Amino acid sequence: MNLEKRMQGQVVVLSCAGRLNMTSARALRDAVGTTVEGGSSRVVVDLTNTSFVDSSGLGALVAGLKVARLAGGDLRIAGASEQVRTVLNLTNLDRVLTPHRSVAEASDGW
Amino acid sequence: MTFPRGRRWRVTAHHQVLQPKATAMSRIQAETPLGGPGSSASAGGLAASSVPAVSDVLAGEGSATGPPRQADRLLVDALRASSHPADDRFHRLVQLAQRAFGVKMAAVNLLDDTTQTSLAIVGTPAVELPRSDSFCDWTVQHDTSLVVPDARLDPRFSMKPSVTGDPHLRFYAGEPLAGPGGTPVGALCVFDDEPREVSEDESRLLRDLADWVEKELIHDSDQAQAREVQRRLLPAYPIVVPGYELAGRTAPARNVGGDFFDWQALPGGTVQVVLADVMGKGLTAAVVAAGVRAVMRGMARFNGLGETVGLTAASMDEDLSHTGTFVTMFAARLFPATGDLEYVDAGHGLALVVQAGGEIRMLTSRDLPLGAVPGDRWQVHQDRLEVGDTLLMVSDGILDLFPDVWSAVQAGVALCAEGRDAQEMVDRLAVIGGEGPLDDDITVFVVRRDAS
Repeated sequence: MNLEKRMQGQVVVLSCAGRLNMTSARALRDAVGTTVEGGSSRVVVDLTNTSFVDSSGLGALVAGLKVARLAGGDLRIAGASEQVRTVLNLTNLDRVLTPHRSVAEASDGW
Repeated sequence: MTFPRGRRWRVTAHHQVLQPKATAMSRIQAETPLGGPGSSASAGGLAASSVPAVSDVLAGEGSATGPPRQADRLLVDALRASSHPADDRFHRLVQLAQRAFGVKMAAVNLLDDTTQTSLAIVGTPAVELPRSDSFCDWTVQHDTSLVVPDARLDPRFSMKPSVTGDPHLRFYAGEPLAGPGGTPVGALCVFDDEPREVSEDESRLLRDLADWVEKELIHDSDQAQAREVQRRLLPAYPIVVPGYELAGRTAPARNVGGDFFDWQALPGGTVQVVLADVMGKGLTAAVVAAGVRAVMRGMARFNGLGETVGLTAASMDEDLSHTGTFVTMFAARLFPATGDLEYVDAGHGLALVVQAGGEIRMLTSRDLPLGAVPGDRWQVHQDRLEVGDTLLMVSDGILDLFPDVWSAVQAGVALCAEGRDAQEMVDRLAVIGGEGPLDDDITVFVVRRDAS
């Protein structure tokens, strides 16, 4: 997985290209941690170019969400595939990790 | 838990009542390859596990000197048991060694205190040998590489049955294989019925391949330990609830997950049933599952169902955060006299009541898994098991076996309709996976209120 970080206004966008699985989940967790510690607690994880997310990847998103909320911010996801949205729905996690269609939509109102 | 791959399904219905169509049911029955109890998958089932206790395996760790101990045999057993027949990693490695050396035969052999068995072998049939007849015995005893260019000329080996008889060994080169604790547990070897020398490059190659085999053995040993932890999560005692049958079963995947089910008699005759799935794999998931189970049991004695789940989530929150995981759970309390049922669905979504007439209702909610949001609360919902009703709980591993969630539900309904007893139902559902290792654990838990 290739992880890119960019500022977009007050929002930090983390783009995950490739597979978000057991081997790359840690990198995402760490990236969210570093971002929040650096003072930006509004994070959008862009999954548009993420080909595959497994349960460890979902765990990393939930862990990132907790870190961001603890710092008074939030973590939102954009461009999730049907597969990811299906699991978010089954586990009710779509209540807290609302899937947005695009980064622009996810950052709306921030 | 795992993710479904490319399938589309939604379960948002809360107390949705559906009448399955007879045609759909019969189709599912026809397409569902139900093996009988004791067929393929049950051999991999927890009941058939021959994995030794974790403490026994861990006791095998230590220095690499001295003759193999009892603990090594247990470790070797664990490694053997954890290697699935359909898993050809070791076979491919052995084949690679055989081709690289251009010899007729190669093997990964495991040695316990008396016997050598082949985990994988090419060029000659696998046979069990007494250690004293084995070349690898020397390699393991001395924990160093062994090259025998011509066994007939080597007094250490010239009288071995495998030299004087089939397969008439002359050449042998072996590298010891360390188990997870560093103790040698076997050897990777190449051998032939023609004499042969080994170059320095070839020696290095054989060692490299042996390192690779060791990594796979260590991985399998971790899995064996995770499986053992999971096995010990099974309810220790059967439970007798007059007027009801309870049965559950977990079929573990090659990469063990964090599924468990549990039942517990509470003061006042109430029975708590739990099915949970810790997201993630391996020993971490199994250990988190053990924690969740223990806290649930402890809290349940003194708290209502909603509080029990909330307190468990709060108690486990740090562990869940550290491991970057969460837990989906269905937990219920049954009041046997009336059939009244209280339940909490923590993002699990895979529990349903199949009525005697075949109608079903999903027991779901919009509550989150444990570990998703700190300080979260869980709502208690009410339901009731009438005479002949079945509460069916499954883990999401079952969804790997069906094209969508409704097919899985219908298969469950079909089983209920056959009037099987609870144990038979869970056995049948758990073996639907058929041949080959599962991608994810499958746990099935049934509570049926007797018809009479």
